[in-house]
Order: sequence, then structure tokens, then C-alpha cells
Amino acid sequence: MSPQLTLQAPLDVPPTEVSPYLERLWNGMLEGSSGAATFTLLVWEPSWLEQQMVRLGLIEGPIRGFDRSDVMLAARQAVIDCGLPLSTAPMDPRLAWALGQRPGDQVSADLRGQVVEGAISAHMPRRLITLAPTLDGGRPLETMVAAYCPLPDEGGTGAACGDAVVLRGGMQAIQQNLALIQPLVGEDLPCWVWWNSSLDEPLEMLEALAPIRRRLVIDTSLGNSRRCLDVLVARIEAGQAVNDLNWLRLRSWRESLAMVFDPPSRRAALAAVVQLDIDVEGDNPVKGLLLAAWIADRLGWHLIESRSIGPDAGSLADEAGIAAEFERTDGVSVRFRLMPVPMGMPKAHPGAIVGLRLICEPADRAPLCVILCSESGGCMRLESGGMASLELAEEVVPLPEENEEMEMARLLSGGHDSTNPLLAAAAPVAARLLPS
Amino acid sequence: MTSLLTNPLRVGLRQERVISPQCIVIFGASGDLTHRKLVPALFELFRQRRLPSEFAILGCARRPWSDEQFRAKMAEAMADQVADHGSSWEQFAQGMFYEPVDLQQSEHLLRLGTRLDIIDRLRATRGNRTFYLSVSPEFYGSGCRALAAAGLLADAERSRLVIEKPFGRDYGSAQALNKVVQACAKESQIFRIDHYLGKETVQNILVLRFANAIFEPIWNRNYISNVQITAAETVGVEERAGYYETAGALRDMVQNHLTQILALTAMEPPGRFDAEAIRNEKAKVLQAARLANQQEPWQCCVRGQYGGGGTREKPLSGYRQEPGVNPNSTTETYVAMKLFIDNWRWQGVPFYLRTGKRLPKRLSEVVLTFREAPVHLFDAAGGAPTPNQLILRIQPDEGAEFKFEVKAPGSGMRSRPVDMGFSYDDSFGEPSDEGYVRLLADAMLGDPTLYTRSDEVEAAWRLYTPLLELIEESPWQLPVHPYEARTWGPAAADNLLAEAGLIWRRP
Repeated sequence: MSPQLTLQAPLDVPPTEVSPYLERLWNGMLEGSSGAATFTLLVWEPSWLEQQMVRLGLIEGPIRGFDRSDVMLAARQAVIDCGLPLSTAPMDPRLAWALGQRPGDQVSADLRGQVVEGAISAHMPRRLITLAPTLDGGRPLETMVAAYCPLPDEGGTGAACGDAVVLRGGMQAIQQNLALIQPLVGEDLPCWVWWNSSLDEPLEMLEALAPIRRRLVIDTSLGNSRRCLDVLVARIEAGQAVNDLNWLRLRSWRESLAMVFDPPSRRAALAAVVQLDIDVEGDNPVKGLLLAAWIADRLGWHLIESRSIGPDAGSLADEAGIAAEFERTDGVSVRFRLMPVPMGMPKAHPGAIVGLRLICEPADRAPLCVILCSESGGCMRLESGGMASLELAEEVVPLPEENEEMEMARLLSGGHDSTNPLLAAAAPVAARLLPS
Repeated sequence: MTSLLTNPLRVGLRQERVISPQCIVIFGASGDLTHRKLVPALFELFRQRRLPSEFAILGCARRPWSDEQFRAKMAEAMADQVADHGSSWEQFAQGMFYEPVDLQQSEHLLRLGTRLDIIDRLRATRGNRTFYLSVSPEFYGSGCRALAAAGLLADAERSRLVIEKPFGRDYGSAQALNKVVQACAKESQIFRIDHYLGKETVQNILVLRFANAIFEPIWNRNYISNVQITAAETVGVEERAGYYETAGALRDMVQNHLTQILALTAMEPPGRFDAEAIRNEKAKVLQAARLANQQEPWQCCVRGQYGGGGTREKPLSGYRQEPGVNPNSTTETYVAMKLFIDNWRWQGVPFYLRTGKRLPKRLSEVVLTFREAPVHLFDAAGGAPTPNQLILRIQPDEGAEFKFEVKAPGSGMRSRPVDMGFSYDDSFGEPSDEGYVRLLADAMLGDPTLYTRSDEVEAAWRLYTPLLELIEESPWQLPVHPYEARTWGPAAADNLLAEAGLIWRRP
């Protein structure tokens, strides 16, 4: 789906005039159209990487605020130019920070919040509020308002169905004007808060935008691993409906592993797992830990201990991994290793899974070794090491390149007011797996 | 389709569309279907997290029940599920309400509208509604009119109407009912249910055909010699004599279920996977279908009626001896027929349909028999090479099977047939959702792909009109042949195929 511009040119309105203007818009100019009874989407959209790259002239503007192929291409080059490890994912916040240290003063139009991804607009948000902090922290607040609607060929009726509000300015100005947002959100419709940035950013802003009653979307691949998992667990424990895009990107891995054990003849082997190995790209372990935690939770394993380890002898990895021991329901120990693997062409987000190996030793049949490999990564490391005597089930996991907006649209089509139980169960285990 | 151990990694993994906030209104809520199929299906959707938190069920019937009584009745009828998932049921039941409604009383409809507004506020269901007509077929038309008159179908985007089968009892009555229904709501709001389309294996016909490049090139008259579609039941008429006496196998099974399977098997590939593209192709193929002999329909159809049978220990009564059945009844409990489809793909390929009660096995299947190899190079162990067959098993033991010739072990070059099988049970080992789970979800999502459109229904009735007229006007030309219970129907049915040198597959 192609992105869509707002129905009308966004109108600059003084911050204090936003609410009265919207009231006039719906009661006067758009009389007869009550707007979609759907939801409010509140987006924290700093797009630091895109802003930095535009400032440095690495890409052309305007700044739009969602995934663009040219941003990805330029980001991969920038990783090299900035001297970051090759395994650094383009979306890694450290890249934006590194670019921020370089001089540059290119300026460009800023369309954040004014261009709506088609997949999201198809769900007809009643109100789309975008908070767009600028690199210039002292910039005053600008507010823009527009009526907005999906095009008729995508299911819209042609009548206005929602509005878009953009608050753009320096961090200080946004923080000072947070009180503007509350009346815009309203309480009669569900509200989604999409924290489309690193969780390393000041948590006060997250607290202000996403009280527990709102449905929160975060991405635990972006930011310090401990902090990401702690935020995730704390929000889930507080009863918030939390969705983690990093968890959603595990979908094909969970599905592929489940598929291996769909044939009833293989099911018994699941009760006899003795070893689990997961390889991840670069040094971000969160996704791998979430995958391991999901498996552990589903199979009823109890975590005994977890610790950092050095690289495996003979492995490609040159960074520290994580070793842990679980106990199965029958008391047998399960060994777990998560190892970082250097990649020349990492996926867009930090910590993508490269491979998974599960070794089962059922009492009444030959040992089974399940190896799942990513399409791009291969499984050389996991395939090595004396497995000739094992029954081998090897699959390649398809990894569709879906951008955040597509994932977000998938979430919006759901509408649950609670956290997915699988994530709610896996997150605390993942947090405990991460060594202190 | 269950295994002893469930796959713990499979739990909660389905990536399904989630239904938008809404209230489903079930008319006929005191009837069997509601507690046997509809509410259990909704509860299953709830447990799968496919219902949003903003959801409500409003049961409507003439009985003066309260919300609490309705919840208690449903809980009683679903005692096993409630016992297994007590806390889920508690949560689910909070969204269940009841309103006494007689669809013929306009003031009841006004009261219903008010109640729905209250539920909208209480459950945040946003005026989004699915009305399910699970009432006696004679009230379909008047029920639609009543809902329309009360303005409950006015919002085409936020109201949908599900109509149970049978949709009409012949071409004329189906046309008339379509006119009434379409005067009350847009076609996009109308969901005519055929629960066979909710079956995983029926939907798999589409996937098998159009997700695999190997089948479509040979799925035509150049390679297929004939197609057999069978839906066999072991049970008799049971408690349905009242309805069955007026319907018979032709109306009860062939016009809807078997014809839908025929359409899915024979349709052209749709340009895209959306409801209208698929239904266009289904309608087109049904419009191209005809009885093998329209001038003398008795030549291409055989009717039968089961007689007594069974064993001395377990005797089975004949149809005419069943409670509620006219002792002189001429209602068919078995019907077999031969059809052709007049289009480029299927010209000259006979399609044989059969269904019956009290047959030896309960099964539904589609069998595509391929043409013989042009030259027989090898001796066949069985005397003659067996033609290749692709068998799509719809129930039970859901799956598919391909029969082909291989070299028989040993010296020489003799061929013998073998089976290559796919079984849902062996591959997935999980029970598939009950058909109503899928169909209800689709209706609430506003997705009509698995529902029949007005032109499909009419084309299906038109296809059998010569037979229905014959049964009505000159029944002696299409006599009801008796057959012994637990046999494969009357011998006359074999003659339908014998003239082409074929036999029914004995599953």
C-alpha cells in the first residue's frame, strides 16, 4: 500500500487553538460526518536516524518518519563510515548517535505525521496524533491539523473519517505542552500509543504519553537490553496492554518451530529437550531471549541460572554470549546458549535471529536435532559438532521484510485490551535470562 | 482429528484477523442451533482471543427469558466447555444478553433497537451489529422486512445479516426470497450460510488448486476423465423427519453442499483472493453446469430410499418406518446424478454427484480420475493399469491421496497401483475449528468469501429445476428405488456410470 497524504493541506494552528479548531472542524465544516468510531493513535516519532541523515545530506528530504528503502541503504553505508562494527543494524540507536557527532546543516521539509502509511490508514484511525521532536532541542512548538481519510479504493467511503494532529518542535517545547495532548485523546475510544523509538529515551515522556489504560506499542530491539526488558515486564505487570514489535518479528520463528512438532509422531520429543542454542546478529540478545523464554514457558521449564560467557571455542562469534540452565518438569537439566554472530549484512533491527538448534533425547527413539536457519544467515555454526547420529529436522525460516507500519497495522486490526498471554508469560523469563 | 498430545508450541500461534467491536444478535436463540453451534463457536473465538473486549451477544426469541436465564441455559447446554474453562466462561458470559422478541411484532423491534443502543453504551460495541436469522425458513423474508422496517439494517457498513439454510426450496422461491432480502439490505450485508464451506478441507480445495503450480495445468478435460463427488451418511433421518419429508436428499444435500463442492472443484482460478473474485468464478461455473440430459432428466438421475437392514441384534428400520415419516413416503434419502459443465475446461467430462443416508460409511470426498496413459507399456499386476486418481477427503480422516502406478517389486516390469497420502491428522495433529467458528468469524469480519451470493444460490437451484419439476409433476418417471440400509444405494445408481464403463469409487 502506498503512503497517503492527508486529505487537505495541514493547517498551522496555534497550540492552544488545536482543540477548538478540531471542534469547529467536526461540528461545522464537516457537518454530517461524525468520524470513524475506531481508535486514537498517538505516535512518538522522533525519527532521529532519518533526521540526522537528512542533516548530513546522506539522504534527501523531506523527513517522513517511516521506513524508507533509501534510509536503509544510506544507513548501511553510514555504519561503515562511522567505524561501527559491521554487525550494527541500521536501526540501532547507536548509529543515529554516531551520526549526531558529525557536522552538517542541511535542512529539509518535515512531513512527519502528515503522511500516513496506507496499511495504517486502512484501519481509519479516528485521530492520529504525532509528536515529532526535532534535532534542535530549543525549537518552539508548531502544531498542525488536518482532516484525513483513506482513499475510496482502499475501502473508505470518501467522507472524512478522521483527523491528524502534529506537534513538532524541540524536546523542551513538547514536554512543556504535553497537557495539550490529554484533551485530544479523549476517553470514549481506545487509544494506542506507539513508541516508535528507542527505549533509551527519557522514560518521563513514555510515562506521560502512555498511562496504563492506553494500549502501548514498543520495540525492545531498540535500546539497552536490560532497560528494554525491564520496561516491557514492568508495563505488563502493571496490567497494561503491551505489544512489542520485536516479539512480533519472532512470528515466523515460532511458527516454524511449532511446525516441526506438528506431526504427532514428533510431539513426545518436546518433553525430552536437553539443549537449546540460539544465534543472534550482533550484540543485542533480547530477541533471542524472548524466543528462548517462549520455548521454556511453553515446555514448562524452570530457570536455574544464567550467566555471561565468552565466545564458544571454534565459533565465529567474538562477543560474549549467555549461558543458562533450565530444569524440565521431570527434573532433567536443559542447557541453553545464546551466542552473538557477526554478520556482514544484518537485518534492519538489532538482534535478529540467525539460527536455532534444539536437541531432544527421548527415551524410546533416536535423538532428534532440530535446526532452524534464517534465509540470510545460514546455520554453519549450529550444524557443526557430532550430530551424525541424530535424526535431523532442518528448516529455513522465511523472514518477510515487513516494516514497522505493517506490523503496527496488524496490531491495530486486533484491538485487544490486554497483553498477548504468550508475551506476558515469556517476558519475565527473558528478563531473568539476561545476566545482571 | 486429535492426537493424544497437543503441540505446546502451537498454542496461541494462529495469526488470525481479529473481529472488530460489535454485537451479534441471534434470532431463534432458544433453538437447538444456538446452544449446539453458535454460542459454542463464539466461545471458541473468545478463547482464541479473536473477539475484541468490546463484544456482546444478544439472544432473541419469543420465550420470556431474562439475561440470567439465557446465560444459565447456555452454560447448561455447554456444561463440558464451561467446566473446562470456568473463568473464561465467566468473562464471556458477561457479554451475553437476552431480549424477548417476536419478529412479527413491530413494537418488539422498536424495543430491540433501544436495547441494542443500551448494549452499545454498556459494551462499547459502536453500533456495529451482526444479525443471525436462526429461525424457521418461512420467517426469513418477514424477519428481514421487520429488521429493515425498524431501521436496523440501514447502516450498510455496520450491520450484517446471516441467513441459515435452506435458502428457498426451488428456483422460484429462492428468487423471491432474494428479492425480499435485497430490498432490505445490500448484497454486501447478506451472508447466506452453507456450513460445508466452513470445513477446513473444503477450503483446502481452493488452496490445493491455486497455491500449487502442479495441479492447475492438468485440472481439465485433457487429463481428467471424470469427477465423483460423494457425501455419504450412516445415520438415518433421526429427529428431522418433519423437515426431511418436505426436503429430501436433493434439497437437503445436493443443491447446497455438494453443489458448493462442485463449484470449488470446477471453478476457474480467480484473479485475486477476494470474496467477489471467488464468488464470480463459482457463479460462472454453476451457470455453465447442466444435467447430463436436460430433456429426459430421469436418464441422468437416480433416487433411492433406504429400507430396513442391519443385523438381527441391531436391526435398522427403513425410512418409511421412521417416526414422523409418511408410511407411503416417496421422499428420496439417496440421490445420484450426472452433470456436465459446458465450458472450455470441462466440456465432455462427466461429474457424478451422490449422497445418501444409511450408507455403509460416513464420508465426503471428491475423486478426480485421470485419463489412462495413452500406451500401456507394462503389464499390470491387477490385470489392467489403474487410472491415476486424486482423492480429496473432506471427512473423516481429512486429507488427500494420489493413486499412481509403480513398478511391482521383483523381476519383470509389472506395474501396480500405490497411494501417496496426506493426512491432516499426521501432519498437523490438531483439531480444526468447527465450521461455524470460521463462518461466524467471517460474517462478523464482513468477509463473505465463504458465503453464497444470490446468483450462486439461484444458479444452484436452476441447475436442479428439471429434476424438481419432474419429481413434482411426474414422480413416476423418477421413481424412488429402495435400497437396503448400510449398502451403497440402489443398483440403478451404478448404471449411471456403467454406460461410460465407469464404477463408483468404493471408499
